Amino acid sequence: MLEQLQSIQRQAEAAIQQAGDEAALDQARQAFLGKKGALTQVLKGLGGLDPDARRQMGMAANAVKEAITQRLEARQGELIARASVVEGELDVSLPGIQPRAGGLHPITQMCYDLNDAFLSLGFEVFEEDDITSERYAFDHLNFPPEHPARDSMDTYWLKGHEDLTGPERLCLRPHLTGASVRYLQRHGAPARFVYPGRAYRNEATDARHERAFFQYEALIVEEDFAFASGLLLVRTILEKVFGREVAVRMRAGFFPFVEPGFEIDMKCLVCGGTGCKVCKQVGWIEVMPGGTPHPNVLRAAGLNPDVYSGFYINIGLDRLVMMRYGVDDVRLFRGADLRFLTQFR
Amino acid sequence: MKLSLNWIRRYADLPENLDLATLAHELTMRTVEVEDAVHLAEDYTQVVVGHIREVQPHPQADLLKVCLVDVGTPSPATIVCGGSNVRVGMLVAAALPGAQVRWHGEGDKVAIKVSKLRGVQSEGMICAAAELMLDELFPSADEREIMDLSGFDAPAGTPLSQALGLDDIILEIDNKSLTNRPDLWCHYGIARELAAIYQVPLKPLPLFEPPQGLEPVQVRIEDRERCRRYAAMQYEGLHNGPSPHWMRVDLWKVGIRPISSLVDITNHVMLAVGQPTHAFDRELVPDEIVVRTARPGEGLKLLDGKELRLDADDLMICDNQQPIALAGVMGGAQDSILPGTRRLLLEIANFEPKGVRRSATRHQVRSESANRNEKGLDTQRVDQAMAVAHQLITRLYPEARLSGFADNYPHATEPATVEVGLDWLGKRLGHGIGFEEARALLSPLGFETALAGQSIKVSVPSWRATGDVALKDDVLEEIARMMGYEQVAFIPPRVKLTRAVNQPAIALERRAREYLAFQGGLQEVYTYPWVNRDYLLAMGHEEAGCLQLAAPPAPDTACLRPSLLPGLLEAVVMNLRYHEQFGIFEAAQVFAPGSVPTSDPEERLPLQHSSLAAALVGREPRMLFRKMKGLLELLPRAVMSEDIRFAQQEQPAWADSKAWLNILCQGRVIGALGLLGSRAAHAADLRRAHLAMMELNLNQLPPLPSRSNTYHPLPHFPQVEQDFSVLLDEQVTWEQLSQALDKTVRGLEFMEEYRGKQVPGGKKSLMFRVRFGLDDATMTTRQIEEKVATIKKRLQKLGGELRM
Repeated sequence: MLEQLQSIQRQAEAAIQQAGDEAALDQARQAFLGKKGALTQVLKGLGGLDPDARRQMGMAANAVKEAITQRLEARQGELIARASVVEGELDVSLPGIQPRAGGLHPITQMCYDLNDAFLSLGFEVFEEDDITSERYAFDHLNFPPEHPARDSMDTYWLKGHEDLTGPERLCLRPHLTGASVRYLQRHGAPARFVYPGRAYRNEATDARHERAFFQYEALIVEEDFAFASGLLLVRTILEKVFGREVAVRMRAGFFPFVEPGFEIDMKCLVCGGTGCKVCKQVGWIEVMPGGTPHPNVLRAAGLNPDVYSGFYINIGLDRLVMMRYGVDDVRLFRGADLRFLTQFR
Repeated sequence: MKLSLNWIRRYADLPENLDLATLAHELTMRTVEVEDAVHLAEDYTQVVVGHIREVQPHPQADLLKVCLVDVGTPSPATIVCGGSNVRVGMLVAAALPGAQVRWHGEGDKVAIKVSKLRGVQSEGMICAAAELMLDELFPSADEREIMDLSGFDAPAGTPLSQALGLDDIILEIDNKSLTNRPDLWCHYGIARELAAIYQVPLKPLPLFEPPQGLEPVQVRIEDRERCRRYAAMQYEGLHNGPSPHWMRVDLWKVGIRPISSLVDITNHVMLAVGQPTHAFDRELVPDEIVVRTARPGEGLKLLDGKELRLDADDLMICDNQQPIALAGVMGGAQDSILPGTRRLLLEIANFEPKGVRRSATRHQVRSESANRNEKGLDTQRVDQAMAVAHQLITRLYPEARLSGFADNYPHATEPATVEVGLDWLGKRLGHGIGFEEARALLSPLGFETALAGQSIKVSVPSWRATGDVALKDDVLEEIARMMGYEQVAFIPPRVKLTRAVNQPAIALERRAREYLAFQGGLQEVYTYPWVNRDYLLAMGHEEAGCLQLAAPPAPDTACLRPSLLPGLLEAVVMNLRYHEQFGIFEAAQVFAPGSVPTSDPEERLPLQHSSLAAALVGREPRMLFRKMKGLLELLPRAVMSEDIRFAQQEQPAWADSKAWLNILCQGRVIGALGLLGSRAAHAADLRRAHLAMMELNLNQLPPLPSRSNTYHPLPHFPQVEQDFSVLLDEQVTWEQLSQALDKTVRGLEFMEEYRGKQVPGGKKSLMFRVRFGLDDATMTTRQIEEKVATIKKRLQKLGGELRM
């Protein structure tokens, strides 16, 4: 009988090991431990034995039952660990299901990055209307009355305004600078603000020239602001755009609304300043004009130029984005072509 | 503008071993942008003066000759030459191996090599002027003619650049950086800047004092505001012809074509001191010179052949009868210098700059003269020009005689005086500055300085006093740039912190764009503010209702957009070439006629507001409409604005007759959404695709001052959820159904709408889920049954028939 028990244990262990799923395992359980199972049959036959042998055989049978049960549980654990909610094969290298991808225009992206940087310095963001008057586009900005930029060959004047002047002659703004006077008139000084936006100029278009473009201008006005402090604005922009410190230099430049005025160059990032094709062997690339607001501009804004001074910078985002990503045709920015726009994440 | 360094050196003793890159850098940093600096001699490497010793016929070719040429080496070079004028004894330009020439004066440069020409070895090339790009200096009648250098005193082997005076450096200055500096449009002006930078003296110009007893030249200035000075010098005993080589080279090197000696003199004066002059043939203009504005009907044929019909605003130089020159711009063809001129009347005059610019612009005439006159020149410069002109004329024509003179001088340029506080200078520079330091920087530029208490009194020289330097800020700039901007070290600004930046409207627009892009899956686009007429009309706008440009980019883009949708429609049509399903949006300003007051009491602007618009493109119109609506439903939450709702109030012209809704905020219509109507779709030639669009006025979507969430305590007792499916007439709307159940249930959720086999015509099947419950107890089975019965009753009131 002992041999019979040992044989049942061996058979059971083999059957449990062979069970490949829970159903097979259950079948094995029934076959040995079920009502008609092999071990149950043996236990039923214990009644005919003498008490000593019955006790002895009973202990042995229970030990076998215990061993089989343990084996069953262990096997069940194995099978659970091996199971999957996925039926059949799963190719995990298939691409994921993404939310539908949209995006911001590359110029908006750059603009928002710059806004964030300037907001962190306590600058406000100001928005002016696209249509403005000659007074704000030119008069307030110290443009002489006969300045060529006032020609219709340069500026988009509105129809019906040909014979008007000053506050009555309207145009699509040719630059953002007029907005600075509006802001200062409204908020006074000291002031720190950026005013990004669209500007328009009447010119022939090609890969490098557009009629509509996006500018980013920043102005700080404080009492006796030294122009050497203006480098803050320049650095803020370039470091945000290029993601690292960029060497800059200021040199003499002339713009009617600044005095002194500067052309601001950055060290060529391609060659590091030694001269290459990108920087035309100069080592520096002209990136933006800047300067201290001209006293006439501050006066137009209602500020006393003996007390206040400040620093302007103005950068064309179209050109900056082109430089940053190597875009070779400025017209792509307003072409609304998704094949182009969706490249910018 | 091009400048010759040799010419500049005539006025300032610049260091001999000047580093070209440093010079260009210094000038760029302090004064004007140097775009290029070129060693002219580099173009003529390995080109030397050759002396022709022998000319033999070529054995194989009739047109070629075999020449033995002394090129300064021990043995002469054999060069095959096709020149029609080649002869023994001639001095020629010989290009030796390694030289670069332009073959027959055309195409790119090629390198000269030793090669066989029809079987004869040639060790170089005897050049025609065009092959060395010298044809303006050495004009030839026939393209087979080679350059004849026989008049030059140069031994064989002399580098050509040396023999011709081309060993020079040419600086090219960016004209844009010169617009505010009329004093710099000449060699003397740049020499002054370089003398100041290199701290070397600037040499004085010659002086001119007209001798006594000259015949007065009659000059009458009628418009004394616009002609501030008119000097006339009359010379006898001249003979116009080609200039000497040195003068022709001087002009040619800086890009001015040599013409004839008298014309070349006028250009030379202008390039030296920046004062334009004009030469008349005195035989043709024998009487009085009158400076006046044009009379009705007058015209003038210019030197360049252009016929002008004059305007009453044009200032003219006239003889007794008629105009002979457009003042400050260009002379007339008839009375200017001719090849045979023997008597000269030289005009050296100063004109008011704006008038010059108006005439030049009006008649679209550009000239070196107008370029300078319209920048505003000082009247004192006429003295310099007279002296330089007299010196040149007597040098070229020692036998000529100054016989007549006039100097009519209504207005002298006033020298300006500016007082600048040293304390103020120090604050703006960012560091203190003393009087001596400021004086040392200013005086080389011609500014006279005197200390007056704690201020410097600066006398501005006349050449900087025509509007350029008038304020203390201008003086600050002069000091700062001469110190060198490269020395400027960053000074961290000191600011007062008063409050945080809080601009909810600015934040709203940004959130709206980010929501549409990143949650809506739409791509932002930029379009132009001027819209194409076809798309404008397709969207139901009229040109007459739009603001228009006086000079539009194209005839069909004169209108400024009253809405972003025409531009988006155009963008959709374009993108349909490559994509079938996509969404785009734009946020920008739109325009309409109007009269809006601004902070300036005199200014009125048209109606302008920020608009947000989107377009969804796909195949299934119902889904597109609901997607667009869903996008808008979540918008207020995403942008933190006042809530919006939808109603049909004003149907947009572009929208489908059924599928449209207005967007309302705070009780007013702020926009619309809808499917593109078939009329608009047809007009835009849209066939396969369907389009849902929306546009709203962002200025009428007020941002919330802070987050506006509200809290409801969580239910303590279970709530019941149950699904219903009901058969309803098509006319019954979801809105009606939700209103009917509003008071009965706590939550109502749309699940599905179905029309199909099991649904009779005119009906639809609606499936929805409701939620109800109690705050103070769990609903009993009976309470639930009662609630369901109420719901059924309300549905039956709508004509609904429960399906399950």
